[in-house]
Amino acid sequence: MMSSTTLRKDRMPPDVSSLLEENGLAAGWTRSKKMPVAASEQKMSYTDRVEALRNAKRAQTFEKQLVRGSMDFDDHGIVLPPDGQYRVVHSMSGSGIEINDAILTTFIPSGNHPSGEFVGARACGENFRKLLEIHPVHIEPASSLAGAYMVNFMSYRKLTWNPDVDCSALLAEHERYHTIPVIGAVQHMCPDLAIGLRLGWGGLLEQVHRGALANPDAVDFYAGLVHVILGAQDWIRRHAETASRMVTEDSPLAENLAQIAEMNARLVTAAPRSFRDACQWILWYLLIARMYNGSGGLGKLDLLLQPFYDADSKAGSLTDEEATFHLACLLVRDTAYLQLGGPDQSGKDVTNRVSYLTLEAAHQLGIATNVGVAVGKDVDRNLLHRGVEILVEDRCGTPKFLGVDNTIAGFAANGFPVELARQRAYAGCHWSALPGREYACMDVVKFSFPAILDVSLREMMADGGVSPSVAELWDRFKLHLRSAIATAARGIDFHYEHMHQNFPELVIDLLCHGPLESGVDASHGGVEFYTFGVDGAGLATAADSLSAIEEQVERNRRLSWAELIKHLDSDWAGAEGEKARKLLLGSGRFGEGHSTGDEWAVRIATEFTLAVKEQPTPRGLMMIPGIFSWVLNIQLGKKLGATPNGRHAGERISHGANPDPGFRHDGAPTALAVAVAKVQCGYGNTSPMQMDIAPTYGDTAQNVAVLEALIRGHFELGGTQINMNVVNREQILEAHNDPSRFPDLVVRVTGFSAYFSSLSPELRQLVVDRLLCD
Amino acid sequence: MNLVTNTSRLSTEYDSVVGRVFNIQRFSTQDGPGIRTTVFLKGCPLHCAWCHNPEGLSPQTSIAYSPDKCIECGECVAACLNGCHKIGEQSVLSPSHTYERRGCRTCGSCASVCPAGAMELIGRDVSVAEVLAEVLEDKPFYAHSGGGITLSGGEPLAQIDFAVALLKAARKEGLHCCVETSGHATWDRLCQLLPLVDLFLYDYKETDPERHRQYTGKTNEAILKNLHSLHDSGAQIQLNCPVIPGFNDRDDHLAGIAALTESLPRLRAVRLLQYHPLGSDKLKRLGLPLQPGALGKLNNETIERWLRVLRQRGIHALN
Repeated sequence: MMSSTTLRKDRMPPDVSSLLEENGLAAGWTRSKKMPVAASEQKMSYTDRVEALRNAKRAQTFEKQLVRGSMDFDDHGIVLPPDGQYRVVHSMSGSGIEINDAILTTFIPSGNHPSGEFVGARACGENFRKLLEIHPVHIEPASSLAGAYMVNFMSYRKLTWNPDVDCSALLAEHERYHTIPVIGAVQHMCPDLAIGLRLGWGGLLEQVHRGALANPDAVDFYAGLVHVILGAQDWIRRHAETASRMVTEDSPLAENLAQIAEMNARLVTAAPRSFRDACQWILWYLLIARMYNGSGGLGKLDLLLQPFYDADSKAGSLTDEEATFHLACLLVRDTAYLQLGGPDQSGKDVTNRVSYLTLEAAHQLGIATNVGVAVGKDVDRNLLHRGVEILVEDRCGTPKFLGVDNTIAGFAANGFPVELARQRAYAGCHWSALPGREYACMDVVKFSFPAILDVSLREMMADGGVSPSVAELWDRFKLHLRSAIATAARGIDFHYEHMHQNFPELVIDLLCHGPLESGVDASHGGVEFYTFGVDGAGLATAADSLSAIEEQVERNRRLSWAELIKHLDSDWAGAEGEKARKLLLGSGRFGEGHSTGDEWAVRIATEFTLAVKEQPTPRGLMMIPGIFSWVLNIQLGKKLGATPNGRHAGERISHGANPDPGFRHDGAPTALAVAVAKVQCGYGNTSPMQMDIAPTYGDTAQNVAVLEALIRGHFELGGTQINMNVVNREQILEAHNDPSRFPDLVVRVTGFSAYFSSLSPELRQLVVDRLLCD
Repeated sequence: MNLVTNTSRLSTEYDSVVGRVFNIQRFSTQDGPGIRTTVFLKGCPLHCAWCHNPEGLSPQTSIAYSPDKCIECGECVAACLNGCHKIGEQSVLSPSHTYERRGCRTCGSCASVCPAGAMELIGRDVSVAEVLAEVLEDKPFYAHSGGGITLSGGEPLAQIDFAVALLKAARKEGLHCCVETSGHATWDRLCQLLPLVDLFLYDYKETDPERHRQYTGKTNEAILKNLHSLHDSGAQIQLNCPVIPGFNDRDDHLAGIAALTESLPRLRAVRLLQYHPLGSDKLKRLGLPLQPGALGKLNNETIERWLRVLRQRGIHALN
């Protein structure tokens, strides 16, 4: 808690000072809101309470599906606002795709731009604070933690970019190759939760004040930060007050509610003291970060919570059952990305008891979670074993598996010390970052390899001065690839220069090393490291296309170049078109094993890596390549015509680093693991392997053993991440036909997991088509 | 089958030995412990009525034709010297592409030019080096699962020189080696494999000698004699017992399995292989008649009952 003697008011800029006046931490400032009460209040064991939370989650998910329709993204723990207080809008998510969203009608943002939009740190902070101040309270009495978020702040924005800074020409250049730009991207970096756990909201406010004093020119930035904190404190305080009012003598969860009230009254300003406090603090930050701009990175949760666990266990105030329960209450509220195990700075494995309890919490819940288990030569082998047991038993696509040895070595290959590389933490779909120190914008920039190939092919065919050939096509592809990368690099510099004027990080800034000290937003130079992740998408589509051209057009001369173009343009129309399509489909495929398709996939991945690492952006910012499409392979496919691998116009392009389905008629799991291991870029970004499998290798122990071997083998070959679904084949096919019959079916879609019934038919089809047949 | 042509392994004196295989199957989990690659050798002295790999019976190459994959490009017509392929007017009664097996020499010319994979040559002559390069692709997975290489078929003992060479080369690479065998061969051949095999997966198809001859084409005396000799020589053996409805799903055969197992105290396990009817599509593609064994479907309860009976007698029985 801040005392006036710590401030030198005479040196404070006036408007920050007024905010401090407001921040008298007035007691009794309540907002009475009706909150949903979950489940029965019968006497409840922890098992009962987890069941109550799961039932509530199921109901909340169903409501969301009814109101928002398909949700082709992370499940998130967002709940619908109270009836009569929301309306549905079409907006852009924090991950850059268009979504249907429900927004509170009780909040109307104030614009500071003639367009009516709010831009820049002060306006974003002010509006976010107002949103937090009217945001309803959410307490489920069965939970040991309070809070849930109901809106995405970004859904109130009319424009994705500050109109005063024109980027239309740059965006048009990106569009030539269907490249998804970084301009306007948010979060996709990992906050350092250790800062918050050490300081609490009150301590953070003090840090902001100190920074404001040291950097008076950054008054708007600090004003924005102050607003965020004050809004957070108000929201938390209202939960404390509401919980206090909910305590009645005859409530069987009265003690729990009283604890929630007491704990949150403290956490308005104080740093957490206990394991439960820490879980609650982390949850508050996570909910606020999600609400602000979709950030969901937790990093090394087991390492963060270990001191609290050790202290409470030693004091006899925490049992493993209680700790697991608190973790479950955290995980049920949001599908944040977290890492368990892996080396610390010195190389020692950090796997501890909390690692296992987190797995157990996810296991008890059986919902969508994004728990990543580190796998490496020095990482506790039992952690992987337990993770695979849970994966096989629960069939929820959790956990996922992180090839830490390879991502650490890769990041170090950029020229960083290995001790630094070891500190990176898994915090998003397919990526890791240094907590609070690395602005990475991971999983944003996407290059469409098939679109680049199409531009190259058309250009070659239009050039009357050359004889078409595969060699000529490949040379042009390399040039256009570099052109696409150069455009994206200029986009990165533009984003770095101007994003803070649009929609600065603010919430993540609070848990970074640098922004509070320097007054500079993380997107604009406030942190130490800038490593923009750039991903290639549609690798298999491009590789199989080049293979088809090489085999059928050039080598076997079964199709001429002109005929190929004719059939592409007509989208394989007519009997001749269909014949040509089947001819090309029968060519060597990526994933088959030593086929022409495999050779091309390796060549493309290698060339892409080389091209990205050839030089930094014009400003000198680093880019690190990966191969990943998220769910954007559907969107990228919709805008692309037919491709020489036999794909129809508008169909999705290939997913991530995976071969296209049907790449092998048998032996697919190991062939897949070998193939994807060969297209790793290195440098600390990932090319995840997506494996969807219905294991029938024997009993459960045998299934676990086989999957463990697949995971270890893939990483031994160089793999960096594995997203795995263990499914019941008949069930997934039935669920695709009628998702409503399986409301609890959870799948790992790509890097994220979600309820199968929440996905659109197209995304469900993607999962079904990926299923490997033995 | 894309064979690996480049390998970084050190060559051995066995590399150039050639054999005939009809499939190299990666990620086999039912042909021995762990994750394995199974090499199917062509040719078998038995002709079991229920054979799941009929393409492996003959030591000669054969042609599989999948009309659904055909794109009627006509490449096979041009390639075939015997006029076995015709592409004509499509009618309701006859497909546009007809393939006449009678005059076919199974040279594989059509398969080598077919762009859609509709014509497939079953059986290729490959060297130990080529096979091993393919097998070694999955070496990390063997190491982590206790898997390795399995020789199957067909009957591996029917190409003993190739089998021995392949196993010796595999052992030099540190691979765990299994062989699936009917046991119908000379003892001399089995002796050659003895020091090279970590686990024999030995078929036991029928107790009654006359029924054995009816169902497989040979009696079982030599098979049983070899089994006992193999066991007494210290080999690790798992007995694989296919259970075929309408053929050997009888209580007397079950009693025979139990008695045989009890006479072989060092047997690793008995595995009951549940029969699944072979799709008629596969037989049609190979130009083979429908199997009598393909008509029945085994009741799951039979397998469960047999497992209970064996386990009650203290036998380590699996399915």
